[in-house]
Amino acid sequence: MNTFSCPIVITGASAITVAGTGIEPVIAALAENRCCLQPAPAELCEGVAGALWGRANQFKAGDFMPPLKARKLDRCSQFAVATAGLAMADAGLVKGSIPPDRIGIALGCGFGGIANSAEFLTGYFQQGVAGLVPLLFPNTVANAPASNASIEYGIKGPNITFVQRFCSAESAILAACRFIEEGRADVMLAGGVDELTPLMMQGFAALGQLHRHARGFGEGAGILVLERADHAAARQATVKASIQQISTIGLLLAKDEKTGIARLLSESRSCHHLMVSGAEEVATRLVDAIQADSTWYPGRLVGRSLAMGGMALATLATLVQPGEDALLVSASPDGPYFSIKLTGGYPA
Amino acid sequence: MIFPRIAITGMGVFCGAATSVHEFLDAVLNGKSGVGPVDLFDVSSFPAQIGVQVKGDRLSERLNRRQRTRLSRTDQFAVLAAEEALAMSGLAGHYDPYDIGVCVGGGAAGMFQAEQWLAAHLRHEKAPAGLLRGVLPDNTAKELANSFRLAGYQGSITTACSSSATAIGWGGDLIRTGRQKAMLCGGADSLTLLTYAGFNSLKVVDPEPCSPFSLGRQGITLGEGAAFVVLEDEIAARQRGATILGFVLGYALAGEAYHMTAPEPDGATAARVMLKAMSAAGVDSAQVGWVNAHGTGTPLNDVVESNAVRQVFGYQADRVPLVSTKPITGHCLGAAGAIEAVATLLALNAKTIPRTLHFRGRDPECNLDYCHDACRPTDRTIALSNSFAFGGNITTLVLGAACLAHKEGC
Repeated sequence: MNTFSCPIVITGASAITVAGTGIEPVIAALAENRCCLQPAPAELCEGVAGALWGRANQFKAGDFMPPLKARKLDRCSQFAVATAGLAMADAGLVKGSIPPDRIGIALGCGFGGIANSAEFLTGYFQQGVAGLVPLLFPNTVANAPASNASIEYGIKGPNITFVQRFCSAESAILAACRFIEEGRADVMLAGGVDELTPLMMQGFAALGQLHRHARGFGEGAGILVLERADHAAARQATVKASIQQISTIGLLLAKDEKTGIARLLSESRSCHHLMVSGAEEVATRLVDAIQADSTWYPGRLVGRSLAMGGMALATLATLVQPGEDALLVSASPDGPYFSIKLTGGYPA
Repeated sequence: MIFPRIAITGMGVFCGAATSVHEFLDAVLNGKSGVGPVDLFDVSSFPAQIGVQVKGDRLSERLNRRQRTRLSRTDQFAVLAAEEALAMSGLAGHYDPYDIGVCVGGGAAGMFQAEQWLAAHLRHEKAPAGLLRGVLPDNTAKELANSFRLAGYQGSITTACSSSATAIGWGGDLIRTGRQKAMLCGGADSLTLLTYAGFNSLKVVDPEPCSPFSLGRQGITLGEGAAFVVLEDEIAARQRGATILGFVLGYALAGEAYHMTAPEPDGATAARVMLKAMSAAGVDSAQVGWVNAHGTGTPLNDVVESNAVRQVFGYQADRVPLVSTKPITGHCLGAAGAIEAVATLLALNAKTIPRTLHFRGRDPECNLDYCHDACRPTDRTIALSNSFAFGGNITTLVLGAACLAHKEGC
């Protein structure tokens, strides 16, 4: 069953990317086909020419939280707290407008925690025990962004974090929809968050990633507000789109790719808008099976990250018009693969 | 709508306390702790120098050369535990590969190897890039999917110490919704300098073997390992003739929204999660035989968890022991929930409530029954297993004994 037993709608969405704060800068970049990435410094790339990267330098944590709080949070948590607040505002929600145990959060997190881990360990490697900074350690976990956002907004419902390569956010969105379907929550914040540091670029270079799946790296967050349709209607929320179907497979088996693709796309072979997230080269075999009026590759313009599916779906939900069908297709090298089908506006 | 009951048809364990289910059963029932010196990395500068470490020969004797060189330490544990679980289930050939998924709860993942890369990088030396291969926890799920040809759902949950309990609950849910017919679920994590130094820097590591709920306890003892279960719809499992080893009857999860490291003082969210898990399972508190505690041995956590259990069970709380198996296994972080779920299932099937080892004296703030004296016979067939994590992520699993498949035997 790739559908849900109750209609689930998207009532809010926001993003922070290299293009700027909010969905609009991403939409503008897509409309202009404008790449917001920069050439990556040569010293980070082990001699690989042409690698691009983009950090969300326009984002200032101090615009969203007091400086003391910002200092306590790692960069991913800052993104998550800010983007969750923007998405809630877009949905007409404020802290406390939903009973705390009826609102939850599900985030995909890419390298969140890794930067703090590296900083924490660097202190130890350079100065021994005296170099350890205890304040850094709590934010070395991948669930820090979701947890810090839950603390900020008093979210006491289901709280979960996934790391699943280029489908981290999609994994979180599936879980969020399920939690709504089975009544664990009325509203879920769901999406993805990731950060990019020079050390990570050096690691990608060492692993040969600059030659392969994601030459243009980015960072940021994309978060949606998902809720049961009747809950949204009762509070007269504006609905951007409804979730029709989420399908996923873990692997495309050699000699049996056809079965896997059929399971992933089922009847979703045509749509008005197609958005491709994750590793494009891997997604090609899926994209080739879909008829779409327009196809977007946001990763080319704002950079790819493990949690870019949140940004991609938030953008798609904002772009799709009532009655139009839209499809997000996401792929990771070696799997998993996701397809998420939306229809603009309230469900029929 | 009647949802299928989620049966467990395979279990596997590979951790510092035991490297097979058979060994683990002995450790759990006979209170055999795996705590000992840690020699995986230099611990001489830390106040605590013990842990529950998998010794090298236990790994090398079970892995081929490619696995030893290519897989992270965490992924090595995972492959061995998953292999045991899948073999026990006899699943092979009964389902289409696209109908079998994998969900792993992770923690520090391949950080042990990545630390070696970072140390070399800081010395401006070139280190093998392969040391970074498993740094993200999703690598474990990928390795398992590829090793065992599991082409269905592939997911990795990373909520620190509740990761693998949630992975089991979520995996059951994927079967309940009809998305998958079988799931390999569990968790894996290894000792790392990051976590060893990190918990020491927070001063929550006991220099002596951890003693949950005891007077004078000072904190955790770290451990490492992996555990996996194979989940199936009970009816489908019966139809293919599988041996049913137990049940995941339900689960619940929530965030405390309180603090990144300190538990919510009144334990209200923990209590709510336990109640919701029982409600999801259709289980009444009177049916619960015991609660497998998160029970880390930190002064604060043990008091809060005790208070939460008292809120849940009220006047019955004194008859529902709260026991911790962490003195046996150490705190295995991302793998803890899965390892403890297996410990609880083994104990349920043996009709025995495990003992909480290393008692140092009664703490007046921990006023429940912790089975400090000895393990105890029981006729109860249902137990809860709690997992609490950094960030306030709480998960409770409701687990049932194998005999629930044949009511007359219970």
